[in-house]
Amino acid sequence: MIFLDSGFRAWGYALGRVIGVAALGLVVGWAIGHPWWGLTGALALAALLQWHHLHRLEDWLRNRNRKTPPDAGGLWGEVISQVARLHRRKQFHKQRMLALFRELRRSSATMPDGVVVLNVAHEILWFNRKAGELLGLRRKTDFGIPLASLLRLPEFARYLARGEFSSALRLQPRIGEAFWLEFQGMPYGEGQLVLLVRDVTRQAQLETMRKDFVANASHELRSPLTVIAGYLETLSGEPDLPADLRPPVLEMRRQSERMTAIITDLLELSRLEASDEQVAGAEIDVTALLALLARDLKTRDGKRHEVEVRVESGDRLRGDEGLLHSAFWNLVDNASKYTPAGGRITLRWWVDEDGGHLSVADTGPGIPAEHLPRLTERFYRVDAGRARDAGGSGLGLAIVRHVLQRHGGELSIRSEEGQGSVFTCHLPASRLVRQAVALPGESGYAPTDRA
Amino acid sequence: MDTTDFSQHISRRFNEDLERVRTQVLAMGGFVEQQLAKSVAALVEGDSSLGESVARDDFKVNNMEVSIDEECSRILATRAPAAGDLRLIVAIIKAITDLERMGDECEKIGHIGSRLAAQERPADKYREVKHLGRVVQDLVHDALDAFARMDAEAALRVARRDRLVDEEYESIQRQSITFMMEDPRTIRRALDVMWVVRALERIGDHAKNICEYVIYMVHGKDIRHIRIEDVESALKDGTRP
Repeated sequence: MIFLDSGFRAWGYALGRVIGVAALGLVVGWAIGHPWWGLTGALALAALLQWHHLHRLEDWLRNRNRKTPPDAGGLWGEVISQVARLHRRKQFHKQRMLALFRELRRSSATMPDGVVVLNVAHEILWFNRKAGELLGLRRKTDFGIPLASLLRLPEFARYLARGEFSSALRLQPRIGEAFWLEFQGMPYGEGQLVLLVRDVTRQAQLETMRKDFVANASHELRSPLTVIAGYLETLSGEPDLPADLRPPVLEMRRQSERMTAIITDLLELSRLEASDEQVAGAEIDVTALLALLARDLKTRDGKRHEVEVRVESGDRLRGDEGLLHSAFWNLVDNASKYTPAGGRITLRWWVDEDGGHLSVADTGPGIPAEHLPRLTERFYRVDAGRARDAGGSGLGLAIVRHVLQRHGGELSIRSEEGQGSVFTCHLPASRLVRQAVALPGESGYAPTDRA
Repeated sequence: MDTTDFSQHISRRFNEDLERVRTQVLAMGGFVEQQLAKSVAALVEGDSSLGESVARDDFKVNNMEVSIDEECSRILATRAPAAGDLRLIVAIIKAITDLERMGDECEKIGHIGSRLAAQERPADKYREVKHLGRVVQDLVHDALDAFARMDAEAALRVARRDRLVDEEYESIQRQSITFMMEDPRTIRRALDVMWVVRALERIGDHAKNICEYVIYMVHGKDIRHIRIEDVESALKDGTRP
């Protein structure tokens, strides 16, 4: 309201002044006998004054950051003060934004991790100093360039293109150089992405050291153990062995066999861990594989269990037969160990739209729910005493999990105490080789047979 | 109103096409870089399976070349690009040929690497080859960086560094001759190593070619078969935008 009032007053003042000047000119013109000349001269003078003010305003606007606004009264003064106020306000906001932005940039530079912000087309919008160091990006020139064009790591390009950022990507930018980076994408908005970059060289080295240590230690332990096991075997077969020494020698032999089994499994596990690459492998006849497993099981545990094989699909599987056999055998072996005599073990192979599934179900005591998540850890025992009596290495399920990982699959475990457990291997549909010929009968291609 | 919308729409699609094909070229470059690093590592570390995998994967480079080539022909035929856009397409068509040849050289190194892995490794563990391999890898990396950034000055600097590779090549050649004269039993291996070094030197030349295309793309000036110093002075003479 003040603005309108003062504006109104200024308009009135300006109008009054023009009328006053015109009247004065008219009077002076009358006095010298040329009233129209007087009026024209006075109006020209007034116009000249307006022009002068306009010039000063324009001059100030052009150099507004260096000069102070000119002094003027009336309408011009009002206009100038309005413009000056607008200018001051804008200047104030600009300074504040700039200061805030500078603070943000400076604080982001102290972050220990690299941050890159990408737009929908995965072009670089912004990155902090650490990201520039880690990825070799340059300020000013690199904004707007697709990140994958500068980084040019095929694995990274695939990670970005997949658009699925639930897990991080760890890679070695230069082959043969001890330098590891980890990328974690975090999508926001309409497909923009915040990318965290971390130097994980230290962790990667520690992990390699751990893996190497386990592999080397197992390897070194194997040779002396072979010698001990060999002598124990000879000793236990010795007819002259004193009767009171026979039980301890037999026990020692059993334990040395267990140790050999553990070391074999450890070596197998470190071999599996050595690479994350998916195995190619050949076509495997699952039906034959299951029949083989069932036969071995029967040979091994005599007539203790009822074994049932249900093959519900003739589809073959593409993978490494040796690895998959060892994984499935571990499951079958576990089932046989933990199922009391008279129990039932069911092997089942079926295919649906998610892929192929192979399950081993038993009617054993089951596993308490709290143990299920940790079951595939190395040397994890549900019941320490009992499991050791059964003679497992404690690595079986870890091996199963790794074998399945190398085939792009996973292991799921379902168990109910007192009812039994079901271990299911899920393999992706891409690994199936469809057989056109339908099998006679939905279930029970291999006849259920009692052992 | 309708027509301007339409033409804007077309030019946006056109830009997207250009951008996509450029990204594809750099993805191809990234793959070749990886092949190069792997092939040198296979030789230096005596990893025969790595060498074989490099040789096996060369078909991917060839496939990328064919698909980018088709994309470029399509753009030329349907969009009829002019000026800078045309230079970009021409430079891309040339650059992918060089990248494909680099891929072939990598395949060669991979083959030789996997063959030499079966033999005893020399006392110096291919130190010279490793060093030359590193220099050439950096050269290729920086050439592709210049391509991604459209940075003609960087391209010129990289092109000048190709001389280092040539000098290194000469020196390894002299060294190999000495080895062969000292102990004729090493001749076979020394010849194989010479093939590898030769392949690396060729890769360096291809990287230099890519730099020349970058300069052509940015300045519209063909600088092939001209001495680097002349190029510098020519670019200074006001052809710079």
